[in-house]
Amino acid sequence: MKFAEFKAPKGVIKVELELTDDKISRIMLSGDFFMYPEDAIEELEQSLNGVKADRDSLLAAVQRFYSSTGAQTPMIELEHWVEAILRAVGG
Amino acid sequence: MEWRLLPLRVDDAFVSMAIDEALLRLNAEGKSPNTIRFWRWLPSTVSLGCFQSVEREVDLEVAKRYGVDIVRRITGGGAVFHDHDGELTYSVVCRQSDLPSDIIESYKLICGGLVRGFERLSLRAEFKPVNDVLVNGKKISGNAQTRRWGSVLQHGTVLIAPDVRQMFELLKVSPEKISDKFIASVFERVTTVERELGSMPSFEEVYEAMSCGFEESLGVGFFEGELTSEELELAEKLRPRYASEEWLRKR
Repeated sequence: MKFAEFKAPKGVIKVELELTDDKISRIMLSGDFFMYPEDAIEELEQSLNGVKADRDSLLAAVQRFYSSTGAQTPMIELEHWVEAILRAVGG
Repeated sequence: MEWRLLPLRVDDAFVSMAIDEALLRLNAEGKSPNTIRFWRWLPSTVSLGCFQSVEREVDLEVAKRYGVDIVRRITGGGAVFHDHDGELTYSVVCRQSDLPSDIIESYKLICGGLVRGFERLSLRAEFKPVNDVLVNGKKISGNAQTRRWGSVLQHGTVLIAPDVRQMFELLKVSPEKISDKFIASVFERVTTVERELGSMPSFEEVYEAMSCGFEESLGVGFFEGELTSEELELAEKLRPRYASEEWLRKR
């Protein structure tokens, strides 16, 4: 299990993940951020499962999550999730 | 339109969370009026934001030792130590259409009630996006909002005189832990009504000030009401989930 945390301008994103063949095979996101609607966090995790753990693939997956759910995360940008996940991947 | 103001209650964390959710659900169904309420936590409790991991945020051994409950909220944001003797909590439940649709604007409107309330206590306060109220540049109130089923629940704290040392024993804060130096740095960032006023007001005084503040900020009149039997029954049904290990360890 890999773990890392990333301090966004407002809120800390904590990432726990496992990799199989350079792809995310399990991921749990936690932290003190806000997400509306709250249930969307599970969709974010699901949309990251099976994704190759590089910046471009992760950015694309998170972008798809935002456009398909319309979820809002005040002061947390797409890049913040990616940064947090990459730290866990490297950690 | 008038909103209902409920009398100050003192409950355990699980009852309080269940009441908030019951009000939100019934407001969304058109069965409960827009409501504002104030309450205290007994016993003192650590509440977790709905996305937080309990293992990572709270020292469970310390909580057990102090007899402090732990509960997961349905709202996002961070872990908070709610000291029975030093904190007043409020909840606002209303139709989403009665607030600005922009999330930060809606926080600003509701937190505006606190800002005016602090002014009534002779403290100059300001809203800091997303969800804080500051006095003298230091946080004195944290707030969290959820929007579900067409209604909004926002609850938040008024730090009157919480035990800050106990707070940092309970919450897992980076490796620095609870050195005097670390506590000193917290005092640079967080303040309390007692510290700013130099004396401790009663819970009733703070309740009065804040409810008047909300009335002004929201631009509505309040009528004094009670929880209905329907609300209490639904809260009773919702309580066990908040008290469950499954909900606590969700993340």
